[in-house]
Amino acid sequence: MVILFGAGSAYAAAPPPEAATCLACHGPHGEGMVDGDKPRLAGQSAHYLDKQLQDFASGARDNAIMSAIAKGLNAQTRSKLTAYYASLPVPAPLKGTTPTAAQAARGHQLAQEGAEAKRVQACNNCHGPDGSGVALSAPALAGQLAPYLATQLKSWQQGGRKNDAGNLMSSVATRLDDADIAAVTSYYANLDASTPSTR
Amino acid sequence: MVQRLKEVDVVVIGVGMVGSILAKELAAAGYKVVGLERGSTRFTVPEFQSPGIHDELRFDIRKALMQDNTREPVTFRNNTSQSALPVRRWESFLPGTGLGGSMVHWNGQTYRFQANDFELATRTKERYGKGFLDADVTIQDWGVTYDELEPHYDRFEYLLGTSGKAGNIKGQIQPGGDPHESPRSREYPTPPQKEHFSGALFRKAATGLGYHPFPQPSSNLSQPYTNPEGLKMNTCVFCGFCERYACEHYAKSTPQTFILPVLLANSNFELRTGCQVQRINLDSTKKTATGVTYIDNAGREFEQPASLVITSLFAINNIRMLLLSGVGKPYDPTAGKGVVGRNYAYQTMSTVASFFDEDVIINPFMASGASGTLINDFAGDNFDHSGLGFIGGAFIGAVNTNGRPIQYHPTPPGTPGWGKAWKDAVVKHYNHSIMFSLHGSSVSQRQNYADLDPTYKDAWGQPLLRITFEFPQNDLKMAAYVTAKGVEIGKAMGAKQVAGSPRKAPYTTQQYQTTHNTGGTVMGNDPSTSVVNRYMQSWDVPNVFVIGASAYPQNASWNPTGTLGALTYWVADALKNKYLKNPGHLVSA
Repeated sequence: MVILFGAGSAYAAAPPPEAATCLACHGPHGEGMVDGDKPRLAGQSAHYLDKQLQDFASGARDNAIMSAIAKGLNAQTRSKLTAYYASLPVPAPLKGTTPTAAQAARGHQLAQEGAEAKRVQACNNCHGPDGSGVALSAPALAGQLAPYLATQLKSWQQGGRKNDAGNLMSSVATRLDDADIAAVTSYYANLDASTPSTR
Repeated sequence: MVQRLKEVDVVVIGVGMVGSILAKELAAAGYKVVGLERGSTRFTVPEFQSPGIHDELRFDIRKALMQDNTREPVTFRNNTSQSALPVRRWESFLPGTGLGGSMVHWNGQTYRFQANDFELATRTKERYGKGFLDADVTIQDWGVTYDELEPHYDRFEYLLGTSGKAGNIKGQIQPGGDPHESPRSREYPTPPQKEHFSGALFRKAATGLGYHPFPQPSSNLSQPYTNPEGLKMNTCVFCGFCERYACEHYAKSTPQTFILPVLLANSNFELRTGCQVQRINLDSTKKTATGVTYIDNAGREFEQPASLVITSLFAINNIRMLLLSGVGKPYDPTAGKGVVGRNYAYQTMSTVASFFDEDVIINPFMASGASGTLINDFAGDNFDHSGLGFIGGAFIGAVNTNGRPIQYHPTPPGTPGWGKAWKDAVVKHYNHSIMFSLHGSSVSQRQNYADLDPTYKDAWGQPLLRITFEFPQNDLKMAAYVTAKGVEIGKAMGAKQVAGSPRKAPYTTQQYQTTHNTGGTVMGNDPSTSVVNRYMQSWDVPNVFVIGASAYPQNASWNPTGTLGALTYWVADALKNKYLKNPGHLVSA
């Protein structure tokens, strides 16, 4: 009963009707989708989600589908949706995303320590301890889906995404190669940031 | 048992900013260079990374990046009637140690001095007449001019990627910059950092009073930058952990970000860390250096022969190295004769604190070490000193560098120093206060000097450096005058309460002021009043070059690093184009 109560309370809030559009790609619980690189939204900070929606609308973040959707949202709806997704529990990492030992080691190095040879600082400097995010400045990376993270790093590299302060992410992303990206994204995807009640 | 090593072309003592730039220039020109560093290697990754680098107790309070004063302190006294005692805790100034030197923990404030600073004695006499200064003031000209240094300032700023706004390009005044600056050849490499709210309030008030605010030139970069060495740097994130810390983001210009990777990749250069240089060795004539002797971390003693010795230590350590080596005649304050240790000077720092109502939100923690807005209207000789009885001045600026919880507690005068009332005041004022820095010049004076301590020795048995210093009357008058101007600006910002704290005597080593120690191995054109010539070459031992802020005959109203960078490239050119082609005196005495 306790478990049921815990799980039940975590999912208690019914999705706002406007979330119907989101569910199709981001999953019924905001868990994201590996196919098509759709990010997990559950548990991400409302501030971050709201800024991304504004940036999709303005074009600072390039994505045809999200841009069209974001342009149709007013501030009030954005606020409702982002608060909802921020409140959802973070699921456990997907099965089958375990990095190789070499990837785990390289991913851990990039995340925790950085790489002097490439002049890349630790991801966690900005993304918080173990990539847990910093509410008003940087998104959580822990438990995020690897294909989405990889697509974003490529997008920072290629200039499709440029909605951060000081071009910090493009500075970092352009110094990473494909093996680094595979390592660091699988490392973060496999970090268990799940909300305790869902374990 | 001293091991004698194979001779090299150049030995560089101290691999900090000056040492790494010069070593890179000379190694690239084909010379075999050995760099001796007493500290350890350290790089942005892994040594400077979060969260360890934000340990305020370790870095602010316990001074983890500083010279180890359990092994190598300095001794201090205010005047010759006192007995100097060792400084067991760094407080007033913070000399660094380790690869990259003190620049690793700097704030990134990157100024040029003005043209008249380099000819201060001449210009002062021209403008204010003979006898304007106190009799014991010993200011003098540098032997090098601003125009000669301008290309080297430019090169240094482009090496660092300094973020700023030019105020004078080739004589054309530029809107938004500092109209008082001496002409520069082009714009800064990157635009100014964002202005924080305290800077915006300062700008408005200063403009209203008819002054000329401009953004502080910062080597915490405003945007990504690739320097002429091909090294990429990042944008500063305003984390507020600059001074006393190393930068985790490749955003603060330090040797680690702007030169060391290039230097260390050059096979003509060899870095040796953990090497405590004991002295520069001289031959029997005492007119030629044969190399240096050092002791490594294992206690082994080595002699490293070299054709050219460059001492590129922090200012006070340059003085000590010459005194320990017998290079140049030590200064005697009684006779006023001798040169090594003479004209030791500092920086005359004052503050103005402005306290606002609680609806004015300052967010002081959102800062970089060099963000901020300031005026030069009362700096240097930018105002008429007639009848004031002093020379020099200070920049006045809202250049808040941090809001770190252990170090930053603005409270109004009258607040108790501890207990509930203090805590309440910190909570009340932390987010609603603006601190101005009044960064004042420092004249050299006959009584202020450095020599070897007769009593205290370092861990290797060598005498410590003894500093004898008191604030000159000239500078105390200056501080009082400029602080009054700062208080007016604080009031014009609408602060509820404004407290000016002009610098007062006695000088104490127990309160942080600034790490801008200057003089002691002064440059100039007259061997009787300078240790090195205009190329920073020893008058006495011409294959020894002494490069540091120790060369400044007196200190100006701005942070000294930019000028030291310019002098470094000035010397690099003289070495490559003149000295190394034909070793000998570059200037005849």
